[in-house]
Amino acid sequence: MQENEKLLILSLGAAVIFLFFVSLFIGSNPVPVFQAAREAFSLSLSADGKPSIIAIILTEIRLPRALIGAFAGATLGLCGAVMQGLLRNPLASPGLIGSSSGAALGAVILLYFGLGYDHIYALPLGGILGALGATVVVYFLAGRGAGTLTLILAGVAINSLSLALISLLLNLAPSPFAVKEIVLWMMGSIANRSMNDFLIMLPGVLVGWIILAGTGRALDALTLGEETAHTMGIDLVRLRWRIFLAVALALGSVVSITGSIGFIGLVVPHLLRPLVGYQPRKLLLLSALGGAALLLTADICVRLFPAGSDIKVGVLTSLVGAPFFLYLIIKGRKYES
Amino acid sequence: MNSAQRLLILLLCWLLSVAAVAAAPQRVVSINLCTDQLLLMLAGPDQISSISHLAIEPESSFMAEQASRYPVNHSKAEELLALKPDLIVAGQYSASRMVRLMKELGYRVETFPIVNDLEGIRAAISRMAALLGKPKRGKQLIAQMQQRLAAARLNRPKVKPGAAIYQPNGYTSGSNTLQDVALTLAGWKNVAATMGIDGYSTIDLESLLLARPQQLFSSAYAPGTQSRAQQQLNHPALKRSTQGREIVNIDYRYWICGGPMITEAVDQLQKSLPR
Repeated sequence: MQENEKLLILSLGAAVIFLFFVSLFIGSNPVPVFQAAREAFSLSLSADGKPSIIAIILTEIRLPRALIGAFAGATLGLCGAVMQGLLRNPLASPGLIGSSSGAALGAVILLYFGLGYDHIYALPLGGILGALGATVVVYFLAGRGAGTLTLILAGVAINSLSLALISLLLNLAPSPFAVKEIVLWMMGSIANRSMNDFLIMLPGVLVGWIILAGTGRALDALTLGEETAHTMGIDLVRLRWRIFLAVALALGSVVSITGSIGFIGLVVPHLLRPLVGYQPRKLLLLSALGGAALLLTADICVRLFPAGSDIKVGVLTSLVGAPFFLYLIIKGRKYES
Repeated sequence: MNSAQRLLILLLCWLLSVAAVAAAPQRVVSINLCTDQLLLMLAGPDQISSISHLAIEPESSFMAEQASRYPVNHSKAEELLALKPDLIVAGQYSASRMVRLMKELGYRVETFPIVNDLEGIRAAISRMAALLGKPKRGKQLIAQMQQRLAAARLNRPKVKPGAAIYQPNGYTSGSNTLQDVALTLAGWKNVAATMGIDGYSTIDLESLLLARPQQLFSSAYAPGTQSRAQQQLNHPALKRSTQGREIVNIDYRYWICGGPMITEAVDQLQKSLPR
């Protein structure tokens, strides 16, 4: 088991690194990546000198895209795993219970109505508050220990409300370009993002990860039921708030940059859970790696479409994720009957 | 009303409008930003009855100040009927249904095509001037424009540096656009046109950088508002690829419509030429 787990982590990690580098090679034009890397590297050593165009394309366009893909994917996978562990519910994921659309709503309010780029950290702050608000509302709407159905229904309600508000706000926004960006927030995209965007999203993501990393043992205990976990010394209220806050920090930061990319948080933990013997603690790191690999793959596929087609990466993850979601429902129905 | 009667009325209206032309129209209504501006430049003080509401927007209209003296319309049929126009000037694609209706009701409607070169600008000025019975004024306006363009020609560098228009959402102007005309007249080489882009089209960031423009121009409308589309102009790769030069904004009103104001765009574009 232990060996098996190590092997899994190593191979998924290798896959992420491999996909990350593949991502650097994919673009609308063939660019000599090795030469670009050499030029970018030698430039950072030399005091001055004009950067070559290919070096700029590598470091300012492709690198941030690959980094955002890896970090956003990892966050989505990790948050999905933690949410499913905490709520002991296989359908709990940031996309389904409203955290993502809440984050998008928060970011939209700040971006289009004046604050977004005056203070660079206002944008993720909006995302974080939106994610936290939506998660908490859904949790209390559904009630503690809610069944799958109640939770999903509460999530559907908050999702619809957030999306309606996003559409309304984008229609009312002073910018004439805002209306067309509804798709971007609903489907998510990491195209044309810059290093600044990555740096804006990074602090929330890292702090969120660090807080979540320590929750594995408590989640393991929770699989035995709330009572048992309580007798094992787990403070459930604290654990819950800790996770809500951490998920909001990481997810809110990500969504404020990428829009809400669907289904990664649902699919990845599901696929990996059987491989680690259904132990939440072991699932966390694996889900993060799996999420990164999945989003990088989806983003590479998006770029293989002919230039100018501008397909959002979230379209692809949803195309894969939605049938999977249906499969889960059908499987669940068989189990219930 | 039988068809014979309808025909008679139409004929009468037609005769009336013919009579009006002979005397040069006195109540001209424009329902398009581009015809608004030509009208304001060429008409006599009492010839204009109404202009479109866009003509008074300082962002989009070069003639906003002059336009503020006239009542505006929103190209609604009832509005226009109440104005009793003896000539309606419209864009080729503006409110085509309403234009058809006005024609059926017997009003004289002249539509102007979209202009994307100097020849088109001169033709539009001449035509508007002739419609208004002011051919001399038209010739004068064209001569002024030619004079300013000839002066600009003297300032052009021998080797044309590359430049491109970059707009929110990654839009650029290729060949057969007024932006291309102005860039060329100013002495820049429009790299988007060189790449084979025709008309208005998106250009992806990597392709734009690889075309190695030395200077980027934008032409923002709705400044001061925020969106992801507009934010794209702040991508650090753009500034780094042009050796730290900021994107220069050229006012929208100089080239959203074809007119002599293109000379203003040319002058502004020349200010950014490397010395």
